[in-house]
Amino acid sequence: MRSSVYNLPILSMKMANRALPVALHAFAALCTLSSFLFSVEAAASTPASWSEPEQQLARKIVAITGPGAVALTVDNRSSLSRQQSDIVGNGLRSALEAIGLRFVGADQAAATVAITLSENQTSYVWVAQIRQGTNERTVVMVSTPRTEGVSAPRDSLPLTLRKTSLWKQSERILDVAVIEENVIPTHIAVLDGEHITLYRWRGDKWESEQSLAVAHARPWPRDLRGRLVLAKDHLLDVYLPGVMCRMSTGAPLSLNCSVSDDPWPLVSHSIAPDFSHGSSGAASVPQLDAFFAPARNFFTGVVSRRIGQFGAVPKFYSLAFIPRDKYVLWLFAAVDGQIHMIDGISDFALKPGSEKAKWGSDLASVHTSCGAAWQVLVVNAEGDEDDSVRAYEFPDRDPVAVSATVDLPGEVTALWTETKGDGAIVVVRNREMGGYEAFRLSVACSQ
Amino acid sequence: MKHSGFPLLAASSLLLLTMGAHAETRPQYGGTLQISVREAPTTLDPADTAQQDTLASRNITKLIFETLVTTDDNDRISYGLATWWMFEAGGRSQSFQFRLRKNVIFHDGTTLSPAIAAASLRAANPSWKITSNTDSVIVECDPPCPYLPEELALPRNAIVKKSSDGKLSGTGPFHINEWHPGKKLLLGAEENYWGGSPFLHEIDIEFGKTFREQLVSLELGKSDLIQIPAEQSHRISTANVKLWRSAPLELIALVFGHDAQSAADKSLREALALCVDRASIGSVILQGSAQPDASVLPNWMTGYGFAFSTETDLARARQLRQEVRTAPLWAVSYDSADPIAGLLAERIALNARDAVLQLQPTKTAASDLHVAKIPLPSDPIMALATVATATGLPAPQINSGSAEDLYSAERELLATQKLIPLFHLPVVYATTKAVHGGLTRQDGMWNLADIWLSRQKTGSDRP
Repeated sequence: MRSSVYNLPILSMKMANRALPVALHAFAALCTLSSFLFSVEAAASTPASWSEPEQQLARKIVAITGPGAVALTVDNRSSLSRQQSDIVGNGLRSALEAIGLRFVGADQAAATVAITLSENQTSYVWVAQIRQGTNERTVVMVSTPRTEGVSAPRDSLPLTLRKTSLWKQSERILDVAVIEENVIPTHIAVLDGEHITLYRWRGDKWESEQSLAVAHARPWPRDLRGRLVLAKDHLLDVYLPGVMCRMSTGAPLSLNCSVSDDPWPLVSHSIAPDFSHGSSGAASVPQLDAFFAPARNFFTGVVSRRIGQFGAVPKFYSLAFIPRDKYVLWLFAAVDGQIHMIDGISDFALKPGSEKAKWGSDLASVHTSCGAAWQVLVVNAEGDEDDSVRAYEFPDRDPVAVSATVDLPGEVTALWTETKGDGAIVVVRNREMGGYEAFRLSVACSQ
Repeated sequence: MKHSGFPLLAASSLLLLTMGAHAETRPQYGGTLQISVREAPTTLDPADTAQQDTLASRNITKLIFETLVTTDDNDRISYGLATWWMFEAGGRSQSFQFRLRKNVIFHDGTTLSPAIAAASLRAANPSWKITSNTDSVIVECDPPCPYLPEELALPRNAIVKKSSDGKLSGTGPFHINEWHPGKKLLLGAEENYWGGSPFLHEIDIEFGKTFREQLVSLELGKSDLIQIPAEQSHRISTANVKLWRSAPLELIALVFGHDAQSAADKSLREALALCVDRASIGSVILQGSAQPDASVLPNWMTGYGFAFSTETDLARARQLRQEVRTAPLWAVSYDSADPIAGLLAERIALNARDAVLQLQPTKTAASDLHVAKIPLPSDPIMALATVATATGLPAPQINSGSAEDLYSAERELLATQKLIPLFHLPVVYATTKAVHGGLTRQDGMWNLADIWLSRQKTGSDRP
């Protein structure tokens, strides 16, 4: 009898998986990444999920000591918080008591049991070192998959910048589009280098609806970028380096991709016509498309329409804009490391200052009902620290911060204005855990 | 400790601070990364077993060549040149079928084929039964080899195409432009690399440089990347250079040249293990840069390393020594090119004297035991196998790979008394601040295809 087992897309819990019988690997291969992220991890962080390893370790300990009186210590040298380690410690004590151990001082104990809550890269490892009389120590252990911590958002100041987690996965996320929402997003499209996947919020978790492959003949460039744009007469347009795809609305959904050097719409009017109009008295924002270098990570500087006297702009990574009374101020995070400000007549670099020195190369405009109505979201990057994002306004030529910084759990790999223009999608790569997480950034009026 | 040895580093800080005023979080294309390393490889062939297995040689291999399977940043098995694999078990044998990635081109223009991949693996592993079909490579194992994917991820199993004149060609992100064995290697970015062209335009590696030479080269801006001995890393000011530190993964151990011959020999080896004062050696000689360990694998890899006690027990060591009538003089050798190894040998000899054991440090190869530095792969099973190979022991049998299984295998390895683990050292690299991106992973491997240089270094984007 021969059995066949196929490789997992990514082995997530290496040591734990090795412990599984071969047949279980096949089952594991059927588990989707989403269910792993949103079900297994969530479950593993609850006290109930410690119960099984607690009982396993208790059984292993009692198999050595037998029932009776022991001196027990529990030390935590893992990344578990004190609260969590206390929960585990209490759970272990209960499990040991339930199968016949009593806890006494070392002088009255038949055995000492020193439990250490430890960990390796993928698992918590709980080690019990047991000494009975003068016998040599016996070591028993159990392991259980590690979980990721949850960080709390923070806010303050004139405007409040909020981040809402939309999706996370191990593959690089290029963009996320919110297709439907009802207070919270209920239907999203997630773009990575190989697929666009639709997820629908059902009950208390995202469920995958459909995943469609992105066809491309040439290898993708490093630092791959891609953009989703909601469309009027079909569901989505997908822009990738040298490739454009169109996603139909009819069931079943289809995705048609073709080689394309069409410019990417960076100011889109397809969904929200109001987006083209400045707020009271401000100039309208003309639709602007820009050509993307197919083997690189930047826009070539060739744009679909003139900006005043400028037929082209410097090569850039991202742009933002501020409608003024009689013109639009364009900001380009250029490949030369400068923030170029173009008002149609002049091209000048943003003055280096303490704020600007930390600006990264990702900018995005948002149109809100707060403050001056238009804000620029800017990624702040300093050394190897995690990135943050902050909202700025431009009363004149100098940026003024109008929100507190919002810390992000890693480095930003994408920042795009949403099609409707009132929010942005930021994608972050977690430096420590790996994997990518997409957040929606929205501005709320603090007053 | 004085910092006066690094005056130019301080002087160059102003320049680097100026460079820091530019906004650039997205990678820039172009530029040449200059690297200096101590090692001086004379071949680039990953399967050449005559070549010493060092982290530098592994790193260089991975720039040019690729493996069927690889590990990701979190040490999880991931796709390399294979995009799919299937495992079949039947009776005592096992087989793995690896389907190859399509449209992968060697640097010499040849398309990667299963036949070429199979030939490469056969050359590296003559005892394996390897075949190929239209799209896959099949490896059959008898006895079973459940951890074949992990083994195939090792650099020595990289896929290499050899031309009739002995030229090597790989599929990695960089191709060989110039190769002067033991002296210099110039690599160029592979524009059509299947994983996307690297950001760097070129990599220029100079070999055989002492630490001092490397440091001066970094100070003068002639090198962008050097390797720093871990114990020296605290002397480097980070005001003007970036330090990149791996997890502690280089095992320093005393390794005996032969198996324990008798009960007396075993007692003496145990006495030696008990009298080594890891704590003081770690703080004095290794300047606190190393993790004192009595385990083969570091704790971060397993979670149980602390269960192997590092406590010195001189009383027990003396007792064991007294149980043996005469103790031989043990010659302990060390790598004379490694200044720390000699100090370690001398300090351990002093510790041994406290237990009435005699150790004689020597630079000559003929010895009873030696101070070994063994770079470990980050996979715990492969790491145990690497240590077993380095100490002349058979690879441990591991059933499931659970923490408890690993612990049992490690105990068995230590029960041979062929080695006495002492420390785990991190690998430390220093770069100029013009180097961006994640230089190194937890396992100390370079990630040079993803790093990039500041605009000031790249000049303009390459065409």
